[in-house]
Formats: sequence, structure tokens, C-alpha cells
Amino acid sequence: MSVFTDKFSATLPPPTRKSERWKYSPIAKLLNNEVSISSEAAQGINGWPESVLPNPVLSLDAYLVVFKNGVFEPTLSDLPVSDGVDCIPFSKMDPSASLDFSNGYHQKEWIGELNETYRQDGLCLHIHRNVKVDRPIVIHHLTDGLNVASFPKHLIKVDEGAELNVVLWSSASERSSGMYNGLLEASIGPNALLSLEKVCNEGGKVFHFSHEHIVQERDSKLKMHTFTIKGDWVRNELEIISRGKGTDSVFNGAYLPLGTEHIDNHTTMDHTSSDGTSSELYRGIMYGNSTGVFNGKVFVRPDAQKTNAFQQNTNIVADRGAAINTKPELEIYADDVKCAHGCTVGQFDLDALFYLKSRGIDEKAAKALLVEAFLGDVLSSVSSTELSEEIMSLYTERHGW
Amino acid sequence: MLKINNLCAKVGDNEILKGLNLEVKPGELHAIMGPNGSGKSTLAAVLAGRDSYEVTGGTVDLDGVNLLDLEASDRAREGVFLAFQYPIEIPGVSNLNFMKAALNGKRTHKGQEPIKAKDFLAKVKECSSLVELDGRLRDRSVNEGFSGGEKKRNEIFQMAMLEPKLAILDETDSGLDIDALRVVSKGVNAMRSSERSFIVITHYQRLLEHIVPDFVHVLSNGKIVKSGGKELALELEEKGYDWLKEPSHDTSNV
Repeated sequence: MSVFTDKFSATLPPPTRKSERWKYSPIAKLLNNEVSISSEAAQGINGWPESVLPNPVLSLDAYLVVFKNGVFEPTLSDLPVSDGVDCIPFSKMDPSASLDFSNGYHQKEWIGELNETYRQDGLCLHIHRNVKVDRPIVIHHLTDGLNVASFPKHLIKVDEGAELNVVLWSSASERSSGMYNGLLEASIGPNALLSLEKVCNEGGKVFHFSHEHIVQERDSKLKMHTFTIKGDWVRNELEIISRGKGTDSVFNGAYLPLGTEHIDNHTTMDHTSSDGTSSELYRGIMYGNSTGVFNGKVFVRPDAQKTNAFQQNTNIVADRGAAINTKPELEIYADDVKCAHGCTVGQFDLDALFYLKSRGIDEKAAKALLVEAFLGDVLSSVSSTELSEEIMSLYTERHGW
Repeated sequence: MLKINNLCAKVGDNEILKGLNLEVKPGELHAIMGPNGSGKSTLAAVLAGRDSYEVTGGTVDLDGVNLLDLEASDRAREGVFLAFQYPIEIPGVSNLNFMKAALNGKRTHKGQEPIKAKDFLAKVKECSSLVELDGRLRDRSVNEGFSGGEKKRNEIFQMAMLEPKLAILDETDSGLDIDALRVVSKGVNAMRSSERSFIVITHYQRLLEHIVPDFVHVLSNGKIVKSGGKELALELEEKGYDWLKEPSHDTSNV
């Protein structure tokens, strides 16, 4: 038992380093923390810190759904109200009307069970057939306070032919610590499109666990991006299941940790049906004494003939104290498929750096140009230029380029 | 303008420049020739500030500034330009953004305002026509997918954009066909002026028919062993380098 599990009990044991999935992301430090669900949040007393804007991307014309420490903030939110768009927090809806698509994560993983047991709220978003939502929906979660645990879960259902762009943004004020345990489940109907941008920009010392589970039906398209701008300890789990023919899944990510930050991206792409394509590109630059993990699984099941799967993870280790553990895992059970993957770990290209400097560009500006080029392929596929520019400017500001 | 005095440099334990002296006055064009491994490219890299070379002695003075004290970027801002023998490909950085950053780096250094977009584009147009670099190449990532000739033309384009005080051309003729050689030479000749000096490093006399030097030096075993006028290049073409080679002090292969 630990201080943490005393308060948050579960039938599943917390993961240890003995488990391959958690080997490089130990959580021992979390287990010694005196974390609890914010009493402020439990009592529904809310105050929003001035240092954080409710809308994290001011330039983006978007709907806004705001949560603080797991609790919905109605006065700061701006929900879409139109035919064919159901967008309601679970706390405000008739439980019988709730969508249900549990994937069993709560029975497999401790993190999932904790979320299932201690869940506070979340957004239930249903886009009906052929509806194209006119603006992106930004779901912003803020952690604010010492030793706060938050357990949100969002459900998204995009019906046949519908289109939706969601930005899932998590932030934390500098005084914060504790745990963010956030799940998202999405189902993308036939011919439908879901663009999902996930951004973690958390100050303080928060253990950030997130898990997205996305099921794609025939000819649907997923465009997903996972950006870690800032976060003391971050684990992003992404699981995509291609369940119908001809799906297209694009999922990219970037991380540039500083100091002693830890960043872990675990992805699974499961092709169970034929004629699907998937393209995965994760790029990271490890600074200072930061540590990182990339683990990318691709399954091509026996029925998934004519699958075209691409995976790449490229890392630059910028400083001597930093480290990244990267591992591609491909399991292919069909014989007529195209699969390519590559993981690289390297340093800044010194020849390129000298070339730029020899033209009068100072070292800092030269590195910024190289970083921008390095991230370019990930940023260029983001749904809106407002968002990609905001992300780049947050990186720029943080790294002082 | 440039005074190199007793310059010594090494890579690892390997001494390459062993007391090199050279003076270049404003407006002069000096050709440096010499056999493989004599230190020609090392000289270019050391002058431009590549930090994989360790300078172990000597001074390099450019109009009163000791270049050896400066970072590569500050040397460029003081007016040094190196046209690379093997220009680097930088995917994702556009040629124009690159040049804008370079020009503005230099301008900020001099306390000037960043260049106006309109002036910048006019300059780009003028300089790219000088070396017949078409718009398609200009707008792409730096050197990415360029042919050998296109890369060298891009070097001269950059030189024209940055208007250096001292331009060092490191084997700019290597990998060029006759037409490209003519275009590149035309660009260099258009840049010659009474205030701008050149050091042209080459293996072959061929280039010097197009870019006519004021002086020719022979570099051998890390030192300049012979200097002369442009006729020296012809003599070298005829006789080779053996008659000039400094006896090596390395006795390991005796």
C-alpha cells in the first residue's frame, strides 16, 4: 500500500517497472504523494486563476468547454447550440441519454480503473449524420492547486458523413501538483472526419496520464496531433482501431522536454479491416536531463489486406544528460500489405548548423530555424493555421528562440 | 584588409596548417592551389570559424578585428563569406527565409533596421538573375534536391545577397560542367570591386581562365611554398606540384 493507493483504491495493482509497458515510465513518485480530489472541486466552489486564459487559443474562433480540477465551468464555456450537435457535460444530462462505448480499458489498466471509479465529469459530444460543425470545439482542462487529482472522461461520436474538429487542451498553473487522469473515447462513423488536436501545456508538478481510444468505421478519416509543450511528467496513450474498410488514420506528435521532464508516447494502430492507410510521425527534441519514451505498435490483422502503414519516430538528443527510449513494434498477419517504419535518435546536424552560422545567423537563431524545420512536417498538418502558429509560438516562448 | 600571420591549426592530433602567412589587400583576388591534403580546405574552414578545427597558433586580422576571437556567425557579420565546396542541404528551411535571417542578422549587428519585404524581394530578384538561379530553386528548401551546379550557383547567389568584404571560394569549380562554370564565374566577376577581396581555392587552372587572379599561391604541407602572378597557375598545370613540395618531416613511411 502507499499514500496514494490508500486514498484511491483499485482492484488492479499500480503498474511497476516489471511491466514492459511501464518499464521506462516509473510512477513510484506519484504513489508517495498525498493526492486527493480537490475539495474545492468537490464542493463546487470555483475560482479561475488570472494567469490562465479560459480560451487557450485566443486567435481561434471556437466553441469552448472548460473544466477545472475535473469540474465543468459553465460560466466560462461557450457550447455549440445547433441541430445535429449534442454537446453536454455528463453532469448536466439525463443519464439514460448518455452514449456508452466502454472499451474495457478500466478492466485492463490501473489508470483506467481509477478513472472509472473516481470519474467526476466530462463532455458528451454527438455529431449527427452529415453535420459539419462550423467551428472547432476546444475542451480545456485546468489543474489548479496542490495535490489535486482530476478524473475527466470525454465521449465523442461522429456519425456517418459528419465532420468535427476538437482541440483537447490541458493546462496547469505553476502552483499545481497532483494527477490528471483523462480519458477520451471516440467513434468515427462511415465517411466521417474527426480532427483531434491534443495539447499539454501544464506548469507545476502534475502527473499527466491520458488515454485516447478511437474506433474508425469504413472510409472514415482521423487526423490526430499530440503536442506536449510543457509537462513535468506526461504519458499519452493513443489507441486507434480501424474497424471498417478503407479508413485513413494520420497521427502525428511532437515533444521538446526541458530540465527533468518526462514524456512518454505510447501508440497503437490496429488494422483489423482491409484497404486502410495509416501514417504516424512523432518528432522529439530532448533537452537538459529530460527523459522520454516512444512506443509505437502497429497491428495488421489477417483480414487487413492491402493495408498501407507508415510509422516514423525521429529524435534529437540536444544535451548530454537527456535520453529517449524508442521502440517500434510491428505485428503483421496479412501478406499483401505495405508497412514501413523507422526510429532514429541523433543530434543536431552540425554541418547544417555551421552552414547557417557561416551566413551570419547566430547559434540560437540557427537552432530555432533547424527546430522549426524539424517540426514543420508535424505542424503543417494541423487543422488550422491559428492553432499551429499558437503551438509554435508557445514552443518559441518557452525555449527562448 | 586580411593579414594571416603564422597560422597553425590541427584536427585531433593531426597538424594541418603549419605557420601560414598571407596578406590580401582590398580588391585583390588571390588563388590558392596545391596538392590534395595540403591544407586548402582547412584554411577556408578555419577562416570561416568551423569549430572542428583547433587553431594552435598565429593571428588572422580582418581590418583590425582578430577573426579568431569570433564565432562563425560574427565573422560573417564582419564580412567573411565562405562558398562551400559541398553546400549543405537543409530540408524544411526555405532558401528565402534563410537569406532573410542571414541579412537581418548582419543588419542587426550593424544597428540597422530589418530589411523591408519589398527591398528584400528586389534584392533577391537582382542577385538570382546574376547566377541564373530560377524562382523555383529560390523558393525551395536550402539546397534540397539541387544538382551540383545548382548548389554552387546558390552559393554565389548567397554571396551576392550578403555582399561580403572577403569572399572565400572553396573549390567552387568542382562538379561543374563548362556552362555552369561560366555562369558561376560571371557571377563572381560581377562581384569584384576595389573594396572586396577574394581567396579562390582550386585544384585546376581551368577556373582561373574565367576568374583571373592577381596572385597565385601554392600551399603544400600546411604552408605557402611559392607565390607568383597568374602565370604561375599555367606553370603548375604543366609541371604539377612535385617540384614545389616541402619535404615532409614525417618519417614513418621512409
